[in-house]
Amino acid sequence: MIIEIGHFSTIVALVLSVFGMASAALALKTRNPDWARSGRMAVTLIFVLLGVGMLSLVYAFIIRDFSVLYVANNSNSKLPFFYTVAAVWGGHEGSLLLWVFILSVFSTLAVWLHWRTQPAIMPYLIGVESAIIFGFLCLIVFLSSPFERLLPVPLDGKDLNPLLQDPAMVMHPPMLYMGYVGFSIPFSFAMAALFSGRLGEEWIKVTQRWSTFAWMCLTTGILLGGYWAYYELGWGGYWGWDPVENASFMPWLVGTAYLHSVLVQEKRKMFKVWNLFLIIVTFSLSLIGTFLVRSGVLTSVHSFATDPERGLYILIFVGTVIGIAFGALILRSNKLKSQVEMDSLISRESIFLFNNLFFLVAAATVFLGTLYPLILETLQDAKVTVGPPYYNAVFMPIALGLLFLMGIGPYIPWRKASVASLKKSFSTPLLAGAVIVVLLFVTGIHNLYALAGSYVVAFAGMAIVLDFGKISQLYAQRNGSNILQGSLAAFTANQRRYSSMLTHIGVLVLVVGIIASTVYQTEKVVSMRVGDEFTIGDYRMKLTKIHEVAGGNWNAQEGVFEVFDGESLITELRPQKRIYSATQTPTTESAIYAINMGHIFLTMPEVSEDGVTVARGVLNPLVLWVWGGGVIMGLGVILNILRPRKKEE
Amino acid sequence: MRIRFTFWLVVLLVIPAPLFATMQDETDVDVQVREIAKTLRCTVCQTENIWESGAPLAQQMRGVIRERIALGHSTEEIRAYFLSRYGDYILMEPPKHGVNWFIWVAPFLLLLVGGFFLYKEVTHWVRDTPTPPNQPTPPLDDQARKRIERELES
Amino acid sequence: MTKGWQLTLILTLLGLFALFYQGLWGDPRHIPTVLIETEAPNFEGPDVETGQTISLDQFKGKVVLLNFWASWCYECKVEHESILRLHQLFKDNPDFVMLGVNYQDELPDAQQYLQQYGSTFSHVRDLKGQLAIDYGVYGVPETFVIDQQGKIRHKWVGPITGEVYTNITQKVIAPLLNGQSTPTTS
Repeated sequence: MIIEIGHFSTIVALVLSVFGMASAALALKTRNPDWARSGRMAVTLIFVLLGVGMLSLVYAFIIRDFSVLYVANNSNSKLPFFYTVAAVWGGHEGSLLLWVFILSVFSTLAVWLHWRTQPAIMPYLIGVESAIIFGFLCLIVFLSSPFERLLPVPLDGKDLNPLLQDPAMVMHPPMLYMGYVGFSIPFSFAMAALFSGRLGEEWIKVTQRWSTFAWMCLTTGILLGGYWAYYELGWGGYWGWDPVENASFMPWLVGTAYLHSVLVQEKRKMFKVWNLFLIIVTFSLSLIGTFLVRSGVLTSVHSFATDPERGLYILIFVGTVIGIAFGALILRSNKLKSQVEMDSLISRESIFLFNNLFFLVAAATVFLGTLYPLILETLQDAKVTVGPPYYNAVFMPIALGLLFLMGIGPYIPWRKASVASLKKSFSTPLLAGAVIVVLLFVTGIHNLYALAGSYVVAFAGMAIVLDFGKISQLYAQRNGSNILQGSLAAFTANQRRYSSMLTHIGVLVLVVGIIASTVYQTEKVVSMRVGDEFTIGDYRMKLTKIHEVAGGNWNAQEGVFEVFDGESLITELRPQKRIYSATQTPTTESAIYAINMGHIFLTMPEVSEDGVTVARGVLNPLVLWVWGGGVIMGLGVILNILRPRKKEE
Repeated sequence: MRIRFTFWLVVLLVIPAPLFATMQDETDVDVQVREIAKTLRCTVCQTENIWESGAPLAQQMRGVIRERIALGHSTEEIRAYFLSRYGDYILMEPPKHGVNWFIWVAPFLLLLVGGFFLYKEVTHWVRDTPTPPNQPTPPLDDQARKRIERELES
Repeated sequence: MTKGWQLTLILTLLGLFALFYQGLWGDPRHIPTVLIETEAPNFEGPDVETGQTISLDQFKGKVVLLNFWASWCYECKVEHESILRLHQLFKDNPDFVMLGVNYQDELPDAQQYLQQYGSTFSHVRDLKGQLAIDYGVYGVPETFVIDQQGKIRHKWVGPITGEVYTNITQKVIAPLLNGQSTPTTS
């Protein structure tokens, strides 16, 4: 019964989204604010109704109502309670509902938050958001309903995919979707700007916090996904350049370009078309990602679960949104003959442009790599794989270029930089990079990637520290306080700038983590019996016993490994080879011990009946920096969003 | 005679195994298997190589690699064998020949062409912007000081 | 934006969506095989039911149809009936041999499968998966047709039912048995 209420509310929400579009159109036509008000009501009600839909599904999962097809497919009587909630978005239908629910939350928030200050924008915002909600709700209601009943009712559910029974999976999809969907708000404002012809800087200023927030969610979502892959898939890596991962990375890259490029328009009122273009591309990539992941065009050979009809619908919907957006941009672009004023090639404006170029090339590379197999198959009837070795090879130079620009951009003056100021700002960072490289080389690091990466990281890091140090000192002198108070004063005086610098520092930490854990990863795989040992790096692992353990819905063989550093026992690691009862799916559960900012990562891929165990040890130096960097980046963004409002905002 | 010797050798090697902890290590063959397996795709997985994949096919492929190493095949020969059975699809990256060159050079081409156009465009804009030439820029500290004043005011 | 940029943008978008559209109808199972027109690798293995050794060599000079299957494979059950029908159609021709290859399977499961669904021809066990890898098999079911000269002439990934059945019987096997050289297909 409850699930029918959810189903019904979702259908009503669909009807209301049509009403939302209509009232937006009428509000524009009649200029009667009552229509906008009723549109606002519609959006709010959609949020409430989809909330009911979500809750009914959560309820069905909690009471384990296997008469609901989606629950039967993604849950089981023995699935731990914690994961039954994650199971709500563990499959295609439920995750789609989550997508559109988050969209309705954001739309409602945006409409109420900006109602007073942006009355002219409201009809457009309501219209665009309703249209996107409409598109997704049609997909849910007609082609992918999570509310369908199953008859006869099965005795038990098929269980959630064991790989998804993981704490990170509870937060990963919502975060990712908040990122995708968050960009719909600046997108809607951009569309409003295009349709209404009010093409000033206003939409950018109003949506700056939205875009930054969306960016943070997307970043967090991607990093959580990496963390999940890291310890759940058991091969000791966090990024596999899988089409699904790429689908989330592409909007991130273009979104990052957008966040930087809007600064130029805010400051110098240039590149209007370009910023509109970037936000449209960012949101389009979110939609295209949804298409790629859910239509089956990129699935591997033997996943037969493709459904061309569903894919076709998503394609038409996504195509319509993208077509209208770019169509409007093209039609308006003639009006937008921008009056570019550039004083010098060596200026912050110009650096930002090159930053954009690098980000877009990076995104294009990922896009091309993801689609290349499809392109080749269509044109040539040949099949190839574009895997990590390709991306690692071509992405590295681009990433290095971006990091280098990161060290320049924020510290080069607007309009024109003199040679003297360049020398003053960048000679120390350049030197710092060189010193670091020499030091690392002397200590035995000869890998080219590691050295090149360290150079740019040291350069960019030094530039940040130098700039902030100087300003802090000035504040301290001025206020007659110590340097710590000075830096605090400097930070709060220009919180937007320095919180962004904090995010940059996070990026640098992340990059160090990536380089160290990729270039200097060591791995060893040995067959052993109880009592045997193996060494990896400085550590010695002794398999002391193998025993059976059982969880609620799985049984496992657990190996107990004592880990020694020299003669001293530092920890005990217990990797498992699990079999999930409902599906008889085997998984390898890794055991991880953090030491010196890195990980000792242990899995047990095979345990044969005669007691021979295959153990796989991986040392990932500095891998904690990857997520530590992510936390710093997030902190920077939060401080950015929470900064006190200035007069002009 | 020789058979008996071998028998006792085996017994001597096997019996004490559970009694004494033995240090296990990777052999050269293990390392070579990994090297090769990391470059080959598990054909039934999503972009995973056969080293990292737990799929039965991947496991069998690793077994085949090991057998061929034991037969004395070189790394290149083993890769070529898989290539001859499965085609380019088995390689983790597009082989650098023919039309695949496109995807290998495309990123750098984009960067070069994009960079060239951007450079031309920017210099064009700079030329078209009327500014008093050679305005001396104040030294950085002055600039920073000004920025602070501005920030404190607002 | 200049006209040139506008045009580029429009063409890119159109191309992209044409590609996506095409991709939707592309058959994900279609894999161009590199093995067509090459010598069929020889193999040797025990018969699933009798345990006797079967090798490809013993069928030299005949048209051989190899069908890879497993008891855990759903699509194999789908095609089983038409596979039996196919054997019925050609089994009286002395130049035709049909062989099943049991892939990644447990012997009791495989034997039970054959008992339950019926079998009229021999099945080789692929013990280590070497045979399947030699034939570049991705998964089951997969079917190969080898000609009298021992060359692989046809490969199909997926069940042999409906149109595929008609194609393989009329356009591939029949002409081969009649001694006509057919256009090679995959």
